[in-house]
Amino acid sequence: MELKDIKAVIDLMKKNDLSVFEMEKDGFKLKLQKGAGDQTVFAPPANGLLGSAPPAPSMAPAPVSAPAPAVPETESSASLREIVSPMVGTFYRAASPESPPFVDVGKEVTEETVVCIIEAMKVMNEIKAEAKGVIAEIVAESGKPVQFGQVLFRVR
Amino acid sequence: MFEKILIANRGEIALRIIRACKELGIRTLAVYSEADVDSLHVQLADEAICIGAPPSAESYLKIDRIMSAAEVGDVDAIHPGYGFLAENAHFAEVCESCKIKFIGPPASAMHAMGDKNSARACARKAGVSVTPGSDGIVETEQDAVKLARKIGYPLMIKAVAGGGGRGMRAAHNEASLGPAYHAARTEAEKAFGNGDVYIEKLIVNPHHIEFQIVADQHGHTVHLGERDCSIQRRNQKVIEECPSPLISPGLRKKMGHAAIKLAESVGYQNAGTMEFLVDNEGHYYFLEMNTRIQVEHTITEEVYGCDLVKEQILIAAGARLSPHVANATARLHAIQCRINAEDPEKNFQPSPGRIAFYYAPGGRGVRIDSHAYTGYVVPPYYDSMIAKLITVGATRVSAIARMRRALDEYYITGIKTTVPFHSAIMRNADFQNGTYDTGFVDRVMKSDNFEIRPTPTRLHE
Repeated sequence: MELKDIKAVIDLMKKNDLSVFEMEKDGFKLKLQKGAGDQTVFAPPANGLLGSAPPAPSMAPAPVSAPAPAVPETESSASLREIVSPMVGTFYRAASPESPPFVDVGKEVTEETVVCIIEAMKVMNEIKAEAKGVIAEIVAESGKPVQFGQVLFRVR
Repeated sequence: MFEKILIANRGEIALRIIRACKELGIRTLAVYSEADVDSLHVQLADEAICIGAPPSAESYLKIDRIMSAAEVGDVDAIHPGYGFLAENAHFAEVCESCKIKFIGPPASAMHAMGDKNSARACARKAGVSVTPGSDGIVETEQDAVKLARKIGYPLMIKAVAGGGGRGMRAAHNEASLGPAYHAARTEAEKAFGNGDVYIEKLIVNPHHIEFQIVADQHGHTVHLGERDCSIQRRNQKVIEECPSPLISPGLRKKMGHAAIKLAESVGYQNAGTMEFLVDNEGHYYFLEMNTRIQVEHTITEEVYGCDLVKEQILIAAGARLSPHVANATARLHAIQCRINAEDPEKNFQPSPGRIAFYYAPGGRGVRIDSHAYTGYVVPPYYDSMIAKLITVGATRVSAIARMRRALDEYYITGIKTTVPFHSAIMRNADFQNGTYDTGFVDRVMKSDNFEIRPTPTRLHE
């Protein structure tokens, strides 16, 4: 795989709102992950597939690391952040029964993304993620009451 | 009858309300802050909903979250307990508009009697004597000086929105009036968001006597006698007794009648308390009304043989006054000691933290209203009261002897409590003679023969 191929993959990921890309071929492993990651780890090319350039660190790793640092294979739950309820009410995943849910697992969110509605006293309150990342788990159940501090989503 | 009640409170009173509900077959919903997740009332309620972070302003005072919890829990009524939102007329109105019954008086009565100034005006109108003082808010220092020259010193500057002994300053002469006036205004503004003050003649070393009122929604109002709450430290009640050693049957009849007249004049319903100041000559003056159940309702229950919290719920559900309440008579003598998580040897410094071991006294004539238990962590965010110890006896002498015995049995480790302080008061001759007033605690603590003896260690580690 050449650097321009990796750049092409990154572009495709951006265009299609994908968060993870993994490939393994002939001993070469590559994983690209969008969003705030914890570590920057590279699987160095075993046989110099990234080109014949001498091991000059400036070339290959830099453009790859900036937008999408790879993360270790195993993921601890410590890296998951929680979106908790700021109020008491009923949790809904969508604006109405006919609408699609605001978010699904894998959806990328920023601080301003509306992730759900909590209905309190006939008022529909839009709840923002207030976190940047990717929805990893949907913890609360749509249509069920939630209390202050209750976990609604987990975000990677 | 209600099917489910939300208890908008915490600690011992929340437990008290849950107990009354259980005995009436009513389901209970507790709301709690994150600091109270292991509280006994949360464990014993049928359902519980967390409504916020530990500080009261972010949980127990959050009307919107409490109403959301009420909606989610589908409750018929809310009991506000005491403190927090119990005397918040706006909260009562919100409940009314949401078709959830507020267990207490109508909002109109709370408005009339909640503002100390307006309450005095209602009293004057009903022909009940009030302490000489201002006709309303004292707007300026100059007005204060003019009034003081008319009614004389010493006097008390008090917040109209005040309570719990805050927003008050005494002035003994014209020189100290200005600073006291401004200090009271500032404290009131900070504590209650309202700096308006009124002025009353300060009755030196009065007795604080309050009458329990119970009124149903059908116009029937009775009083259940008086409680003597003169034993106070820094304007906070610490020991209460029923009946008062000071009040003769004749005075009780006069004051009780005045209390009923005033309650009826504002259309009062449910439980409430009229507070008076009484001097040594038997003159009584209306002080203020507490439009809620009080901490010391317990001693009236023991003496008059009733359950006031159950009666509150029944009245709110539309029932007429229970016959045993309407016809109640005083039979016994009761004393209550408020046990606080405070260190009496270090100027009553708060002592929150984990109760390592908790043993409460028992036996004939001993009642404990408490949410404490071994392992309970007393949080630092709320008031320091962890238990109410009530003793009942056929006479005042036997009630005191029982209280001394019960205090000696009480064993709490891990935190400091005021149990030794109460024991010292029980040993005091003036208290035993029934000759005390609101200046008693300050005087007696400064005297030579007041000794706080720490509880001896009982268990062998």
